[in-house]
Amino acid sequence: MKIKEDSSTIWFRLIAYAVVITGSILCLLPFLLIVSASLTSNESILTEGYSIIPADFSWEGYRIIFQVPGEVLQAYGVTIFVTVTGTALGLLLMTMAGYVLQRKDFKYRNYFSFFIYFTTLFGGGLVPYYMLITNYLKFTDTMYALIWPSLMTPFLIILMRSFINSAVPDEVIESSKIDGANDFVIYYRIVLPLAVPGLATIGLFLALHYWNDWFSSALFISDVTKYQLQFYLYNIINTSAFLTNIGAGAGVTLSEGVPSESMKMAMAIVVTGPILLLYPFIQRYFVKGLTVGAVKG
Amino acid sequence: MTGTKKKAISLMLTAVMSLSLFTACSGGGNGGSGNSGNNGGSGTPANTPAAADAANEQAGIDTSKKVELQFYMLGNAPKDLPKIQEQINKMALEDLNATVKFNYTTWTDWDQKYKLLLSTGQAVDLIFTADWTQYQQYAKKGAFLALDDLLPKAAPELQAFVPQEMWDAVRIDGSIYTVPATYKEYVTGGFVWREDLREKYDLPVPVDIPTFEAYLEGIKQHEPKLQPLAIGAAVDAALQDSYLDIKRRAVGPMQYGVFASYDEPGEPVSYWGSPEHLEDLKTYKSWADKGYFSKNELNETESSQDKLVNGTAAAMLNDNPVRYNQTSSRMKSLHPDWELGYTPYGLTNGYATPVHPIHNGFAIPKSSRNAERALAFYEKLVTDKRYNLLTQYGALGVNYTVEDGYYKMLGDANSNGFPREGMNGWAWRNPEFMLFEPSYEGVQKIFDELDKIQKPDIYTGFAEDYTEYQAERAALEQVEKQYLFPLMAGQVADVEAGLKTFMDKARQAGLDKVQEAYKKQWLAYLTEKGIQ
Repeated sequence: MKIKEDSSTIWFRLIAYAVVITGSILCLLPFLLIVSASLTSNESILTEGYSIIPADFSWEGYRIIFQVPGEVLQAYGVTIFVTVTGTALGLLLMTMAGYVLQRKDFKYRNYFSFFIYFTTLFGGGLVPYYMLITNYLKFTDTMYALIWPSLMTPFLIILMRSFINSAVPDEVIESSKIDGANDFVIYYRIVLPLAVPGLATIGLFLALHYWNDWFSSALFISDVTKYQLQFYLYNIINTSAFLTNIGAGAGVTLSEGVPSESMKMAMAIVVTGPILLLYPFIQRYFVKGLTVGAVKG
Repeated sequence: MTGTKKKAISLMLTAVMSLSLFTACSGGGNGGSGNSGNNGGSGTPANTPAAADAANEQAGIDTSKKVELQFYMLGNAPKDLPKIQEQINKMALEDLNATVKFNYTTWTDWDQKYKLLLSTGQAVDLIFTADWTQYQQYAKKGAFLALDDLLPKAAPELQAFVPQEMWDAVRIDGSIYTVPATYKEYVTGGFVWREDLREKYDLPVPVDIPTFEAYLEGIKQHEPKLQPLAIGAAVDAALQDSYLDIKRRAVGPMQYGVFASYDEPGEPVSYWGSPEHLEDLKTYKSWADKGYFSKNELNETESSQDKLVNGTAAAMLNDNPVRYNQTSSRMKSLHPDWELGYTPYGLTNGYATPVHPIHNGFAIPKSSRNAERALAFYEKLVTDKRYNLLTQYGALGVNYTVEDGYYKMLGDANSNGFPREGMNGWAWRNPEFMLFEPSYEGVQKIFDELDKIQKPDIYTGFAEDYTEYQAERAALEQVEKQYLFPLMAGQVADVEAGLKTFMDKARQAGLDKVQEAYKKQWLAYLTEKGIQ
């Protein structure tokens, strides 16, 4: 038997569909434009501009990239490695920090929380940060420079602390203690399973941060084989921008090939494509992780 | 433990998560805004005491300890750099008991990075300098090591190789801070236009502004689809400096609206707000009104050269002979029946200035721990043919061959791991070893012509010290962007009123103080160098 829907539900649905559809079109259009531009010959882009359907179909952009694919693949490898290790390590460290900071029997917890919180308000700025990484830690040109700085993000630690605080009642910790669990066992047998939704959120935050990061590469990496993907892309664009902007008086001539418009677009597809394809499959787990705590009352 | 509480938490988390998705892209901006804020403040390089002082006492250089030199160059590293570095290191280890690591800043935020390299005391042994990387200012602030005493000891051959007048020309406050490049070239401007179209419609050859305007008008009439003139977003350099160069014989791209002509450098005047300025702005406006350049020029991201090559524009102002030649051969490879013409401003003006020695050089930062070895290595790079060829053209037989005395690249620019001058070795070019592509003949011809009318560059040796008006300078830059750029791009309907607004805002920002100080420094510089 069908349940009759009243008209307000139907209207709500109609409006919701309309909003979602326009939203998706707005999101898809620029992307379609990139796909089409990557399949258009460079000359036709420059003379006639971009169009949704390629005016002059050509594989040229992709051909040039896959002629020497080594650098793109390497950059992919670096970004995947950094994202996976960074997220895993970061989660471990930040959940531990969050757990300790919320334990009521940790006398100096507010003190330490304040220290961590303080850095989000008052940063040293770029120069001290740069000096710390290059002169003291000597991370120049290593993967450490890419992973290390984001392992303990103050905002995420505080988020984790409040999450554990509200998701894990003190009584649970207390009773585990009575049952003979030590602090570390409580952490990974009791607290972590209860904090899964929080882990998912923070994990996503971190992973996105690592995936989108280019600034660390820009500052600390001069070895081409350690460029992150986003930096690799960004640098290509910057190189052509530099050539456009530098005055004739500088007398700079670069011998390297400057990418054409269609090649830039093809590069964007090559770089974002796999993630786009992967995302629908991973997304399931994120949603699952989020609702784990919500369903059970 | 209530269910609603849990629900509320997970709801909140979802909200935060979706928010994070939307803001993910702006996350990168954080770093960006953070560093731009630092731009002004971190300008003063740390004055680390010269570590080399102690070593200076001994005669000759001590190579008993093996060191690794950190070599910094701007731009992107060529793909084959590791192989080249390995070969260089083999030789350097034998000659100097040193290895070198070639680092490249890339073109992403290179100016920011350059500043950090010099101001944070990082171990950097050799770094590129040029007028456009603010060599003069950095040297004045003490970022580099003075080389006067070091040269005869660590690099006597190099000292003899570079002519004495070049050493003198790079002096800042009496000391040498950089090793100048000896290759003589011209990077002065000129008109670039489509010769095939000019012939087709029988238009005059652009040699000065009136003939150039006639050419633009002709193109506009006969080829309405073509944009007659490509300028680009940097209207200050690409339009105004260039225009002043050819129309008013400017001594150089002086700052803050100060103007001095090449013939009378000792009489700097305020150009901004003057009748001449108004007249020039009106000219630009008329060009914009007639459709010579796009209404959208300030937002242009494509380079003027690309527009010429692809046939969307028919002329540009201000390109140097080398770049013109490059554009021309790129155009020929795509459109064999098109042709590009070029008139250097020098031919019209009656004088041309070869590059100033400051233009390309290498300096040793104060923070270097191996100054002597660095200089000795740089000497090898310039004067030793093995080092020089390897770092300029790559490996012989792998990256290039020599045919009839000309350089020939193996493969193409995408597959070759080391194109010609792939390490951006502008500064250590050695004229005796240089190899050229056959197309260079065109450039050489222009250079030969300019050689006949050459005069020294007066402007580039000037080291401005803006510490006393740093705040006004920053404010002025803002005003210029906001009020003067639209005027230059012909976007303001009433030029006279627009100029007045700009001048009012500029005066409020402290124009008079800045100009006065700038003029004073300029005159002091002229006196010091004995130019009048």
